[in-house]
Amino acid sequence: MADPRGFLKSGREVAARRPVADRVHDWHEVYPGSAGRALLPIIGTQAGRCMDCGIPFCHQGCPLGNLIPEWNDLVWRDDWDGAIERLHATNNFPEFTGRLCPAPCETACVLGINQDPVTIKNVEVSIIDRAWDSHNVRPQPPEWLSGRTVAVVGSGPAGLAAAQQLTRAGHTVAVYERADKPGGLLRYGIPEFKMEKSHLDRRLDQMRREGTVFRTGVAVGDTLTGDQLRERYDAIVLALGSTVARDLPVPGRELTGIHQAMEFLPQANRVAVGEEVPEQITATGKHVVIIGGGDTGADCLGTALRQEAASVTQLEILPHPPETRPDSQPWPTYPMVFRVSSAHEEGGERVYSVSTQAFLGDDAGGVRALRLVDVALEDGRFVEVAGSQREIPAELVLLAMGFTGPERPGLIEQLGVELDSRGNVARDAAYAASVEGIFVAGDAGRGQSLIVWAIAEGRAAAAAVDRFLTGTSTLPAPIPSTARPLVV
Amino acid sequence: MKLVAEVGVGTVAAGVSKARRRGAHLRARRGDRRLAADVAQACRAVPWGSASRRASRPCLLNGLRDRIVVQTDGQLKTGRDVVVAALLGAEEFGFATAPLVVSGCVMMRVCHLDTCPVGVATQNPVLRERFTGKPEFVVTFFEYIAQEVRELLAQLGFRTLEEAIGHVEALDVEAAVHHWKAAGLDLSPILHRPDVEAQFAQQTMFCSSGQDHGLDKAVDNRLIELAEPALERGEPVRIELPVRNVNRTVGTMLGHQLTRRYGGTGLPDGTIDITFTGSAGQSFGAFIPRGMTLRLLGDANDYLGKGLSGGRVVVRPDSRATFDASEQIVAGNVIGYGATSGEIYLRGQVGERFCVRNSGATAVVEGVGDHGCEYMTGGTVAILGPTGRNFAAGMSGGYAFVLDLVEGRVNHELVELGAVTDEHAAELHDLVARHAEATDSPVARGLLADWPAALARFTLVMPTDYRRVVEARAAALADGLTEDQAAARIMEVLHG
Repeated sequence: MADPRGFLKSGREVAARRPVADRVHDWHEVYPGSAGRALLPIIGTQAGRCMDCGIPFCHQGCPLGNLIPEWNDLVWRDDWDGAIERLHATNNFPEFTGRLCPAPCETACVLGINQDPVTIKNVEVSIIDRAWDSHNVRPQPPEWLSGRTVAVVGSGPAGLAAAQQLTRAGHTVAVYERADKPGGLLRYGIPEFKMEKSHLDRRLDQMRREGTVFRTGVAVGDTLTGDQLRERYDAIVLALGSTVARDLPVPGRELTGIHQAMEFLPQANRVAVGEEVPEQITATGKHVVIIGGGDTGADCLGTALRQEAASVTQLEILPHPPETRPDSQPWPTYPMVFRVSSAHEEGGERVYSVSTQAFLGDDAGGVRALRLVDVALEDGRFVEVAGSQREIPAELVLLAMGFTGPERPGLIEQLGVELDSRGNVARDAAYAASVEGIFVAGDAGRGQSLIVWAIAEGRAAAAAVDRFLTGTSTLPAPIPSTARPLVV
Repeated sequence: MKLVAEVGVGTVAAGVSKARRRGAHLRARRGDRRLAADVAQACRAVPWGSASRRASRPCLLNGLRDRIVVQTDGQLKTGRDVVVAALLGAEEFGFATAPLVVSGCVMMRVCHLDTCPVGVATQNPVLRERFTGKPEFVVTFFEYIAQEVRELLAQLGFRTLEEAIGHVEALDVEAAVHHWKAAGLDLSPILHRPDVEAQFAQQTMFCSSGQDHGLDKAVDNRLIELAEPALERGEPVRIELPVRNVNRTVGTMLGHQLTRRYGGTGLPDGTIDITFTGSAGQSFGAFIPRGMTLRLLGDANDYLGKGLSGGRVVVRPDSRATFDASEQIVAGNVIGYGATSGEIYLRGQVGERFCVRNSGATAVVEGVGDHGCEYMTGGTVAILGPTGRNFAAGMSGGYAFVLDLVEGRVNHELVELGAVTDEHAAELHDLVARHAEATDSPVARGLLADWPAALARFTLVMPTDYRRVVEARAAALADGLTEDQAAARIMEVLHG
């Protein structure tokens, strides 16, 4: 066990981010060097705060079932080789989750009942960054090939996790991606300042060396049909993601200058790594309004600030969440509390309890302003507050209001798989869709969720595919498709 | 009485009833070590359900059931568990884990490390601050349990829990035995309802009559009569009586009367002074309070001075004895068990486990068997003779002076050995002098005759952590800190 009294001797500590004045002028990650390197001086002590609980509730918080107390202990003992071995045992991509996960493990940490929880996510990113730095992450190609073939459609975290598991199990796996490079939201949704794409490329390189084949620029359902895919492969994993964005059909929606976040962010991410995007949507010099108070909105905020927007305002229809865990959302659930991401530190204004009534245009048909109204939550419904109407300037409006499910026309229709009541691809507890040989992993089946759930689904779906192909499987299946997060 | 059985727990339970114990406590897992004065524990490594049943049946067959309380525990969590246990024959139900969790336990399983993060299993003030449990939580939990029991009883057609006890026929086990995991399981021995002979047919299936302990024949009834001036008016009383080994727990009922009248403080030392001659039965002087001195000219059996609560017990051989008392056994095993205060002087040697769990009494003896001072948490012991092996095992408090100690016989896990320092020398001299006075011991007189030489032969046995606490507390009080601040300082010292 790690230091039994560590939690009594040391408080929670995180690494200092680069000064805001510096970091808003570049696209590099907000930690100096890398998150793992920035954390190195303190992480041993922080890992030593882990209490090695008899019942580790962090295991309940993390759908991957990460062996958190074990690698906390190993880090505390300075056994980094052992730590990465234990970490990779349950998580294919700790460098992604260590940067991007909102860490439901930490809200479930037993220490969090009455103290600040262990910095589990920081320990995770320290382990993997150090493993990469010491060339301790090596390809693990299969010893023999099964002769079976699997197509994974979609190269986001769910697809990549499924592909890596299946490749290592000996199957021949091709990952299809309609964009020019694999990664999905990891590449085009996540801004560079949250995770530099070199981390993704490094991991993709490992996968290629293991034998995973990537077919980019292929829009399955269009250039390649569902039938062709079924003919060619013994099994198909649909990891399409939840890509249909929720819209805001209010007067003025047709004005120019109103975009979905996922139109804005991919272009910015391409430019951040040196590509050129003709007619790029930029925030430079504009009054920017982001509609949606979630993580995608925060990504838009940090990106707009780096593009030197005149002002950035993030709107949220829900009330300002409490600073600390409310009684109605007790430990170990994941609570709705006021969170400050790195982008929020950098600037912008967050406005709560407001609803957009209309977009107001200028003579050229571009958006000029937004008409807002305060709303109050009464009996579960939003009621407009009389007399609270006001206009705020808006030359660029970004909609970050969530996603409603996978795109149904195209591949899903061609394959003829059934949808569930929410429009996601229906699957049984073992990830099998209604058509034999087709499996569903990630947001396409679950609806929009967290990266950690995507990786967990990818791993579990891989086990199901392996069993389908060979009759048995030793691949781990961390969660059934019916598992749900610890929230109230 | 704690009895451990896997097979034949029923026989054990019947024995419990015959031995006039109040209850048979069936533990599904290995039991704790608490002293259960009138409950016999039959510890089992099997589930409570079958244990309850198997314990009840032989008692029923022999007409013994209505004299004992059958208590069961071990992972009972719901009202349904209670009703099932009742139908199988239990009438008292022990809960531990569930109410503990209700009060805030998160099953950290670090109770032994003093790092309980929710402040349940710790004395550390920093951690105790974090305890958020309230008595109301536990009350509410048991109200829910009671509510569920009531509902299930209503469904089964019983008006009270007592009515339900032992009615195995009300258990529907169809679903359970048809489950694949239960394939091949034959529950009929557990569900069998024994044919009780006519002579025992009237007995209830729960405790309704109680045990006859024969207290009316106890020698203490006579003691209470004779000590009446002391009990009523606090006048000194001197009594001389013979004693035999059929007289058990001599002095305890008198002590009870004294405590009822004078409370925990008792009477002035030696107000009631009784001299017995003969061979005393078990538990001589058990639980006697301050104000009572029992002197025994002869010898005693086991458990002398058990739970001693301020009284004094002195044993020396009969004056006509020709042997050298220091070479002989004058009292049995487990002397001074769990004593909290008082004095014991024994001229001669004694058996195993001397002063086990002593928490505050002072005892002088001239030799002990194995496991002396085991689990001792307080008090002072002087041993003017040989010790057996495993001395001071689990000893966490108090200290012992041992003459000519053989170090190899000490369990060194918790204690450290050292010379008797000046601060303890006077106390030891006083102890030896009082022993000489009370028992006329030649051993003690010999030591006092050349005290500096005798002192050098003694070893002080003291628990390491206890010493640190004592020293830290003394230093803190010397610094002018309050008791609370001193406690905080002790925590710092121990975990520094």
